[in-house]
Amino acid sequence: MPTVPVEMIDPLVAHGAPARMNVDAPTRFKVGAVIHARNINPLHHTRLPRYIRGRQGTVVRDCGVFILPDTHAHGLGPCPERLYCVRFESRELWGDDADTRNAVYITLWDRYIDD
Amino acid sequence: MGAHHHHAPPSDVRIRVRAIESLLLEKGLVDSAAMDKIVETFEKDIGPRRGAEVVAHAWTDPEYRKRLLENGTAAIGEFGYTGLQAEEMIVVEDTPKVHNMVVCTLCSCYPWTVLGLPPVWYKSAPYRSRVVIDPRGVLKEFGVTLPESTEIRVWDSNSELRYMVLPMRPEGTEGLSEEALAELITRDSMIGTGLPKTPAEVAA
Repeated sequence: MPTVPVEMIDPLVAHGAPARMNVDAPTRFKVGAVIHARNINPLHHTRLPRYIRGRQGTVVRDCGVFILPDTHAHGLGPCPERLYCVRFESRELWGDDADTRNAVYITLWDRYIDD
Repeated sequence: MGAHHHHAPPSDVRIRVRAIESLLLEKGLVDSAAMDKIVETFEKDIGPRRGAEVVAHAWTDPEYRKRLLENGTAAIGEFGYTGLQAEEMIVVEDTPKVHNMVVCTLCSCYPWTVLGLPPVWYKSAPYRSRVVIDPRGVLKEFGVTLPESTEIRVWDSNSELRYMVLPMRPEGTEGLSEEALAELITRDSMIGTGLPKTPAEVAA
């Protein structure tokens, strides 16, 4: 595996490693849609935290199309998918004694979502 | 700390980091000059003063504030602050009704290019696991008590989007220059675990 040489560091720091992909992907959900995070337990890498799985939330933003970590982390390609920002109420995540006002915002790739 | 610190055995984390570093070098997976350069860049050149500069500008320029909230990446990019771990920036605005906090429950994602390297507590399991469940309680431990009616939104950085909080401008700061305002803006106020200082606190 080639190493990153010292002269590459300044450009790398300045430009980063963008994960947004300039391709189209289907839009399954509109802002305002009520969705569920899928209850899945894959053995491979994923960025769907357990505390979100199976929970109901509301789409608040269409973030565009991004590299999918589930495949990319295993060298299986970028597999571009649409990413949505979703609001989950604290009560939905933590039960009846949670604060009624608070919420968690998290992003979900298309395949993490059931309608 | 002090003399005692130098005689104490290195911590487990320190030993582990050294072991991993020497293995990476030995196997030729990293270049030591490149690694030193990254550490130097983020320890010396890049830090939360960048974020403070952005926030102070947003406090004084309503048009900029609008751009910042609509497209954080582009608006922060106007200052030339683009790059590693800030490729995609979303700026979330505190209001009298809503307070925002940022976390990465899965690892330690953080907007390096705008806020520098993350504080140790940000990467710790207690902060990461508790802030999503009990943000108000975590805030109290940071010395911040919000009205019970304030809604707290916790942003979990699970993808390549990075978040920065635009805190509320403290009262009694009318007429302060952007430079003076930037002095009030703490790192924690841009993560959401603190509030900006008041002019009196800065003077003290």
